Amino acid sequence: MPDINLTIDGHKVTVPAGTLIVEAAKTVGIEIPVFCYHHKLDPVGACRLCLVDFSPGPPRPQTACTTPVAEGMVVRTQSAMAVQARADILEFELVNHPLDCPVCDKGGECPLQDFTFRHGYPTSRIDGPRLHFKKPIPLSENIALDRERCVLCYRCTRYYDEIAWEQELTVAQRGVQSFITSQFDQPLQSNFSGNIIDLCPVGALTSRVWRFESRPWDMTHTESVCSKCAVGCNTTMWQRRGQLVRITSRENDDIDEGWICDRGRFDYTDVNEPSRLRTPTIRGAKSTWADALAATAGGIKGKGAKLGISLPADLTNEEAFLFRRLLDGPLKGAKVKMHGRTAIPAPAGPTMPIKEIDDARVIVVVASDIENDVPIIDLRVKKAVSKRGAKLIVIYPEGVDLDRNPHTVHIRNAKGAAAEEVRKLSSHELLQNPGGPVAILFGDGHGSEDMNDLASACGALAEQVGGKEMPLYRATNERGALALGVAGWDSLDGVEALLSWGPPPTAGVPTSVRFLAAWDHLPRDGYDKAAVVLPATTFAERQGSYTNLEGTVQFLRPPVAINPPLKEAWEVLNELGAALGLELDYPGIFPIQRDAAAKTPALAALAQTPSPEPVTGPVLVGPAHP
Amino acid sequence: MADEKSSQPEHPTPLRGPREGVPAKPEGKHPGVAADVAALAGGLKTTLSEFFRPVVTTMYPEDKTVRSERYRGRHYLRRYDNGLERCIGCELCAAACPVGCILVIAAENSDENRVSPGERYAKTYEINMLRCIFCGYCEDACPVQAIVLGPEYELSDTSREKFIYTKEKLLEPMPPDVEARLRASAAHPSPLPDGERGTPK
Ligand code: SF4
Ligand code: SF4
Ligand code: SF4
Ligand code: SF4
Ligand code: FES
Repeated sequence: MPDINLTIDGHKVTVPAGTLIVEAAKTVGIEIPVFCYHHKLDPVGACRLCLVDFSPGPPRPQTACTTPVAEGMVVRTQSAMAVQARADILEFELVNHPLDCPVCDKGGECPLQDFTFRHGYPTSRIDGPRLHFKKPIPLSENIALDRERCVLCYRCTRYYDEIAWEQELTVAQRGVQSFITSQFDQPLQSNFSGNIIDLCPVGALTSRVWRFESRPWDMTHTESVCSKCAVGCNTTMWQRRGQLVRITSRENDDIDEGWICDRGRFDYTDVNEPSRLRTPTIRGAKSTWADALAATAGGIKGKGAKLGISLPADLTNEEAFLFRRLLDGPLKGAKVKMHGRTAIPAPAGPTMPIKEIDDARVIVVVASDIENDVPIIDLRVKKAVSKRGAKLIVIYPEGVDLDRNPHTVHIRNAKGAAAEEVRKLSSHELLQNPGGPVAILFGDGHGSEDMNDLASACGALAEQVGGKEMPLYRATNERGALALGVAGWDSLDGVEALLSWGPPPTAGVPTSVRFLAAWDHLPRDGYDKAAVVLPATTFAERQGSYTNLEGTVQFLRPPVAINPPLKEAWEVLNELGAALGLELDYPGIFPIQRDAAAKTPALAALAQTPSPEPVTGPVLVGPAHP
Repeated sequence: MADEKSSQPEHPTPLRGPREGVPAKPEGKHPGVAADVAALAGGLKTTLSEFFRPVVTTMYPEDKTVRSERYRGRHYLRRYDNGLERCIGCELCAAACPVGCILVIAAENSDENRVSPGERYAKTYEINMLRCIFCGYCEDACPVQAIVLGPEYELSDTSREKFIYTKEKLLEPMPPDVEARLRASAAHPSPLPDGERGTPK
């Protein structure tokens, strides 16, 4: 695109044609306050807060969020007219605002507060009666709505329309009486609802899980990765007083584009559960790690194929590597089953990166309900379709949320016959002349499809139409575990000893098991007969890395410190190895990563661990105890 | 070696030997007994005259001085007349506190468990009195005048733990002079005349 030259407050700026003035101003560090504008949503010009003054143009303030730059334009954000216009808009914004900042969860990180300080009038003239609504209104289990605080920017409803393709959230009434409401006052169902909390520029939409837990300034935050599925969305985890109190999204345009699903956002309270296991036990009696690991080793040693191992979906690459070494050594021949993994075979080489979905002209989604299996990929597909005009073909037996687009071609296959439908596709009219890249996303139909058949059918189709394939792995680190050969798919029936890491096996603990060693962070029903119970860490305490479904290795950083006797999993595996007679004496996580990188080509990225993140604020207040 | 020593700067207050710097005894004859007695009487006169001047010492702890009415001592958390706590658990006092000695953990009011008016209350409210410097910033920051500093300054105790004042302790009834002080300083004049809104920055 050709570049455009313009001047903003005396700074010379060169940006591609079509850039909006707000975005151009950001490149030279000039803040134009916005409420309704959001860089991932289409501009609407609803709030009028971004008023600036530019020439050539009409002699009155104009919205910077809807006006694209033009050659030779002169933008003034600080002219008397623009400054007054923005301050007046903020004054209007506050006419009905309750100003209950002291009890508002947005207080301290609220754009309305910040903009009023930076761009508003220093005092208020408003002493008339304000509009009142019942509050707070629970929009769902997880989200509370405060209509009095709403500035009617419509970011939430536009997100629902444009990004999530849902109709659950809407505006009722007109003018100053307008308010946000869920459709027919029903609770929000969407798996993507939590993003409206991050989007809302005021405290109108707040998290009920985090409600009143803390102020922004008394948390530390850590940049980490979500551990709930194989997409690997980037997150920020917030800690107060040793507890994980909040998870928010962190924009990574290659993977998540700043969205996370509700599982990633709200499903963390188990980390702070008071009933968390902290000490190892042998037959219900507290013991030391050494005794417990000796007992475990005694129970599983030399069992060969009579030993079963159940692995969690979210084990890290490092833990998988240590397991690999155990499986090559003392635990050789054991049957391994990984939680939540798909039947998709290991990739032969690099697969299609997530961000390339954006450029696809035709997207084929086969045998996967991507809204629930790989949620943020679902949003990518929706974006490619609604914002970039891609065509969409879905092959799935049941209805999916992608059907909300009337142009979606949904082929309802018989269960197990997806491969057949894929083979027929090469003659489909949409794929005759796609006019650009074709993306083929395939899952495993939750076990209903013959994966060898389906994978080869998708491969053949990709070849015929010049497309790229993306296998949709589901378990968090399935791809890393596949690279290390520990993503087992064996049946555990008939094993005599079971080492069960994470929740009990989905099919339950087999009745043939005589010796059960459980390793989990919560007490579970399935584990009451366990001979040994080892306490495990959660994603909030763990160091290590995950390989996401496109093959990118990303690092977890623990927001919460581990308190003894709890131990990191790699440390436990080292000691278990020693108890089994295998010399595993890694002194820390970095040597494991270097060793794994050297031995596994798919994990070469592990050798370049990012430097530990500096402790980032905001921490203004220390602990109150001496 | 000698060069090295001379190059060292001289110490500002050189160390002295035991008799160094003591003035030498005056030379000559002893002035006599009469002069000694006169000097003694002169001294006693000062002592005796002080005896009859009015006493200024306060016999603390039996007697106590009068404090300024704005004296800032231990804190109290106030209640409304209907018994609800004023504190809304906003943590602004904790944010304002220069030494970070306030801990507030908030929770949500419900109809079954209503602690304060509105949505939010302080589930935990603690002040570490060993760290507090009695600056009164917490009182200034509070949007609902829930935390106030009272007149007591005798806060000694027998263990460090007892200096963590909990919510129960802070909610004890306040001495009446605090109420009087609060009423006196209730009015906060606005920096701008009525109806003015100032100019944006
Ligand atoms: S939304 Fe912002 S300005 Fe409004 S009450 Fe909350 S913190 Fe205050
Ligand atoms: S609820 Fe928040 S995001 Fe939605 S319109 Fe109101 S202010 Fe905007
Ligand atoms: S008086 Fe000052 S130091 Fe003491 S608690 Fe209040 S703000 Fe903190
Ligand atoms: S005492 Fe006042 S400032 Fe402190 S938490 Fe309670 S209401 Fe907020
Ligand atoms: S940000 Fe431009 S009108 Fe709202």
